[in-house]
Amino acid sequence: MANETVNYKEERARYYKILFGLLFLTAITFIQPHIFHAGTFVAQMSIAIVKAWLIIMYYMHLKGDNLIGAMGIFSLFLVAVFFIITIAVDVSHFQFGSESYITSAPHAN
Amino acid sequence: MAHAYVPEIATDREGNEYEVQGWQDDFYGGKLGFWLFMFTEVMMFGAMFLTLTYYNTLHHEDFLLASSHLNRWLGGTNTVILLISALTMGLSLLKMRAGDVKGAKLMIWATILLALIFLSIKGVEWNEEYERGVFLMHGELLASSSMPFGEKLFYGMYFTMTGLHGFHIIIGIGLMLWLLKRINAGKVSPEHHILHWNIALYWDIVHLIWVFVFPYFYMIGAGDIVGGAHHG
Repeated sequence: MANETVNYKEERARYYKILFGLLFLTAITFIQPHIFHAGTFVAQMSIAIVKAWLIIMYYMHLKGDNLIGAMGIFSLFLVAVFFIITIAVDVSHFQFGSESYITSAPHAN
Repeated sequence: MAHAYVPEIATDREGNEYEVQGWQDDFYGGKLGFWLFMFTEVMMFGAMFLTLTYYNTLHHEDFLLASSHLNRWLGGTNTVILLISALTMGLSLLKMRAGDVKGAKLMIWATILLALIFLSIKGVEWNEEYERGVFLMHGELLASSSMPFGEKLFYGMYFTMTGLHGFHIIIGIGLMLWLLKRINAGKVSPEHHILHWNIALYWDIVHLIWVFVFPYFYMIGAGDIVGGAHHG
């Protein structure tokens, strides 16, 4: 099993540092729309990506674990590729705007 | 005794005995296997987020308007609760690895409590939506209602994704209760804590999903159009 020596104080301190970092970023999430309105979506998703990086690297202990990290990137890549192919095929087969309930919906409103 | 291991013996044609390699102590293998499972979660929620993004590009203004009507404060409170629960779960694992089994159990109970509070707040929020006629196959989300189609899509995805996330929270509570049972039975200990490690990983991915769910549903409508119509 895991033959490891645990530096309890150091690891606990790291957990709290990350907690405060995440709380700070959560506060920014709330403040951001009051600072600037344009680009809220991009700003919110950017903050989420930074938070996710902190969680993955430190809470999920992936820092230094290149194999699992590479597998994670690969699984995201797979989702993106399949989604793009599916959407590309789907969209390329639209011959008429009214053919799709989804795409024709804005005009139907 | 925990993990009493009886080695398997293989015998060759000359009658020589060999101990078959056991993998019960393969910590990295156990971790890697669980990560493979978690990648399926990433792909499932990833596909949902991509679908959400596709609809968002088609009905952007409807999405912003619908988002502005969600209760940002309840969602934000849940964000902080889940964040703290990730800490308590992480500390429980750290305490277990350091040999403090009692402290580890206490932290798991704290995580369960926070998870229950999260679910309660989510219940209040869903009830609030239901009261104003927004719920799956109900009121404004019925095909016959006058609500713009983009808003219907937004709420449909909102209930689907937060519901699926809530289901993961419930599963997480079950896993933590099972973990406590295994710790009490001596099956999980500072020397054999792979189960604890993996359940902590599971809880982190539940948190990770919420990190994207919260801004995507609750915050995108806070700026561009209405600046938080009802609750902001």
